[in-house]
Amino acid sequence: MSTAVHVTDLLILVYFLALNSFYALLLVLSIPEIWEQTRLAEDEDFQRLMQSDALPPITVLVPAYNETATIEASVTAMLTLEYRTFEVVVVNDGSKDDTLDQLRHAFDLYEVPRTYRETLPTQAVRAVYRSRSRTRLLVIDKENGGKADSLNAAINASRFPLVIAVDADTLIEPDALLRLTRSFLLGRQIAAVGGTVRVANGCVVKDGRVADARVPRRFLPGVQVVEYLRAFLFGRLGWNRLGGSLVISGAFGMFRKEYLLAVGGYQVTSVVEDLDLVVRLHRHLRRHKIRYEIPFIPDPVAWTEVPESGRILSRQRERWHRGLIAAMWQHRGMLLNPRYGRVGCVAMPFFTFGEMLAPVVEVAGYLITAVGFAFHLIDLSFALLFVLVAWGYGMLLSLWAVVLEEVSFRRYGRLGDLLRLLGYAVLEAFGYRQRTVWWRLKAFWWAFQGRRAWGEMTRKGFESAGKQVAEQATARRAD
Amino acid sequence: MTSRQFLVIVAAVQGVLLVALVVLIILNRWVRARRRAQLDPHRLELDAVMQRWALGQAQSDDVLRSLARLPAPLAIDALVTWSARIVSERWQELARGLEHQWWARLVRASSRSARWWKRLDAARFLSVVATPRDVGRVLRLLRDSHPAVQIAAATTLERVDSQLLVTAALEQLPFLGPTVQAYYASVLKRARPAVVRHLQLLFRRLNDPRLPRIIEFAGRLQEPALREGFTTLATHLDAEVRSQVARALGRFPHPESVAALSYLVQDEAWPVRAQAVRSLGMIGDPKTLPLVREALRDAEWWVRLRAGLALTRMGTTGRNGLLEAEVGADPDARDMARLILGLSPQALAEFAA
Repeated sequence: MSTAVHVTDLLILVYFLALNSFYALLLVLSIPEIWEQTRLAEDEDFQRLMQSDALPPITVLVPAYNETATIEASVTAMLTLEYRTFEVVVVNDGSKDDTLDQLRHAFDLYEVPRTYRETLPTQAVRAVYRSRSRTRLLVIDKENGGKADSLNAAINASRFPLVIAVDADTLIEPDALLRLTRSFLLGRQIAAVGGTVRVANGCVVKDGRVADARVPRRFLPGVQVVEYLRAFLFGRLGWNRLGGSLVISGAFGMFRKEYLLAVGGYQVTSVVEDLDLVVRLHRHLRRHKIRYEIPFIPDPVAWTEVPESGRILSRQRERWHRGLIAAMWQHRGMLLNPRYGRVGCVAMPFFTFGEMLAPVVEVAGYLITAVGFAFHLIDLSFALLFVLVAWGYGMLLSLWAVVLEEVSFRRYGRLGDLLRLLGYAVLEAFGYRQRTVWWRLKAFWWAFQGRRAWGEMTRKGFESAGKQVAEQATARRAD
Repeated sequence: MTSRQFLVIVAAVQGVLLVALVVLIILNRWVRARRRAQLDPHRLELDAVMQRWALGQAQSDDVLRSLARLPAPLAIDALVTWSARIVSERWQELARGLEHQWWARLVRASSRSARWWKRLDAARFLSVVATPRDVGRVLRLLRDSHPAVQIAAATTLERVDSQLLVTAALEQLPFLGPTVQAYYASVLKRARPAVVRHLQLLFRRLNDPRLPRIIEFAGRLQEPALREGFTTLATHLDAEVRSQVARALGRFPHPESVAALSYLVQDEAWPVRAQAVRSLGMIGDPKTLPLVREALRDAEWWVRLRAGLALTRMGTTGRNGLLEAEVGADPDARDMARLILGLSPQALAEFAA
C-alpha cells in the first residue's frame, strides 16, 4: 500500500508540475505580448480613428432578461460609445418584469415591420421596435429562449459585418470598440477578438461608466478580481502566441458575422455558449482551411458584476465547468487531432487534461496525501511540503497577474487597492481555491446527469457615485 | 535526488520568486511615481507654450526648447495631439525647426532601427512633421514589416505631397485588408491629383488580380475623371470587378453610367445585379424605372430588397411601382413591396446609408 500511495502521489505531483509548467510557459509568452499590446495601445491616435470612416461598422448585441434595474443605464451607456458607425440591438428575451416597458419609455420606441431574414432559427419574435430618440437602437421582443437564442435573434437583425455580444449588465468603457478594432486596422485576418472583463463590484459607477476603479473590500468579490486578472492578463495573452484561446468572454467579445452564421450561431442547448461557440469557430475555420486569428486584446475593457455570495458563485462556477466538460466531450474529435493544428494539439489537450480534469486530480491529491498521512505512509513534513508547493504555484501565478496589471494598465491606482490585490493573491490559496475545486467537481456529477439549467444569478446593481443602488435584479435562465 | 529534495528545491525557488515579484511591484510603483513627478512639470510647460504659440504669443523656438526637455516618445505624443489644432503654415514652420533638433534627428534615424517600436515612434513623428526631405524614410516605413508602422507612415500622405509616396501606397493597397485599405483611402484623398493619375494607369491592367480592390478604392474617391474608366470595365470577365463597378457608378449621375448600369442590372451574378439596381436608385433616372421594377421580381431576395429601396428613391413613379407590386401577381415582389412600404422614413434612410 505504501508503494501505491507513493506512486500515486508522485503521479499527481508530476501532473501538477506539468500543468504548472504549462502555466509558466503562458506566463513567459505573456511578457512579449503585453509589451507589444501596451505599446500599440499607448501609441494609438484615437482622435484620428474617431474621425476616420475606415473602421468597420459594428452591431452591439444585448440580450436582456429581467434587467429592469440596469437596462436603461446600460443601453444609454452603449449608445454613447465612442465609435463612428455602430448600432445596438437589444433583445428582450420574454422578460417577466417590465424590461420592455422601461426600454419603450426611456427610448420612445415605436413598432416597425421586420426587414431582415431569419437566418438563424430562434423563438418567435413578437415585435421589432425602433427608437424615435436614438437612431442607433433596435429592440426585439421575443419569446423566452435563453441567452443563446436571444443572441441569435440579434444576429439575424444586425446589419453590420462585425457583431459584439455584450451582457445587459456589463459596462463597456467608452473607447472599447475603437480599441477592439485595432487588430482590423493592423490588417490581421480576424475571426473573433476578445477584450478584458474586469470586476465592477466596489467600483464607483457614474452614468453607466466606471468612474473610479476600486478593489472590493469584501473577500469573495475581491479574490475574483485577482482571478479575472489572472485569466485575462496572462492566460489569454499567452494563448495569443499559441494559436489562440478557446475562450472569448460571452460578456465582451467581437465576432465576424459571416463566420457566426456559417457555424449556425450560438448553440441554444449549451450552458457556456461562449466557449462552445469559439471551439466551433476553430473547427469550422480549420476544416475549411480559412486563415484566421482569434486574438485577445487586453486594453478594451468591460466591467461586470461578480457574485458576492458563495451560493451564487458556486452555481456560476459549477455551470462554467459543466459547460467546459460538455464542450470538451462534444468536440472530442478535435482532441490531439493534427487536422486542427495547434488548437487540436495544444489548446484542446490543455483545456481537457489541464482545466477540465484539474479539480479531480487536485482532490485526489488531497485525499491520497491525507490517507498516506493517516496510515503513516507519508510523514507530516512531506505532506505539508507537497501542499505548500501546490499552493505556492497558484500564488506565483496570481502575483504575476498583478505584476502584469501594474506594468501595463494600472487601473487600480491607490496603494490600498494594490495591497488588497496582493493580499487576495496570497489568501486565495487558503480555503477559496479548495471551494472552487469542490464546485467544479460537482459539475462532473451534474454533467453526467445531463443538467442544462443555468441556475439563479442575483445582481446587486452597481454602486452609483459611491451610493449603493438598491435595486435588485434577478435573472433566471430557463433550459 | 529524492522527491522530498525536489520539492524542497521547488519550494525554495517559489519563495524567492514570490519575494522578487512583490519587490518588483513595489519598485515599479516607486519608479513610476518618481518619473511622473519629474516629467509632469515639463509636460504642463509644453502645453502652456504650445497654447501661447498657437495664439501667436510665443516663438516656435520656445516650443522646440520645451519639446527637447521631454523624452522623445512623450514629445511625439504631444506633437501628434497638437498637430490637429494648429494651422498648417505655422505647423510647417515648427516642422522645419525640428529638422535641426538633436532628439528629432535621433528619432528620424530610428526609422532604420531593428526594433519595431522605435520605427513606430519614427513613423508617428514623421506623420506630423515630415518634410519633403523625409520621403525616402517614409517610403521605407510604408513598406515596413510591422503593420502598425505602415499605418502610421501612411498618415504622412496627408501632409507630404509626393508622387513617389502616392504610387507606393497605391501599389500596396490591393494587398491590404479591407479596413487598412479604407484607412489608406481616407489619407490618400488629400493627394487626389496624383492618385487619380496613377489609378487611371492601374485601370488599364485588365488581368491584374488586384483590380477589384483598386476599383473599390477608386469608387470611394468619387472623382469624375475616373467615371469613364469605370464604364469601360462594366464588361469585365470577373464578377467581382463588375460588382465594384456597379457600386461605384451610382456616385456618377451620367448617361453613360446609366447605360452601363442598365446592362449590369441583368448580369448573371446576383451581387452585381444587387449593386447595379442600388446604383440605379441612387441616380434616380426615370428611364430606368422599368428595369428597377423588373428587378423587384428577381429570384434573389437581396436584389429584390435593393430594387424596392431603389424605387423609394425614384419619386412618385417609383412609389406607384411599389404600390402596384403590392397587389400584383408575383408573390416575391408583393412581399418585398409590402416590406418596403411598411418601413419608416428613418428606416429607409438607414438602409440608404
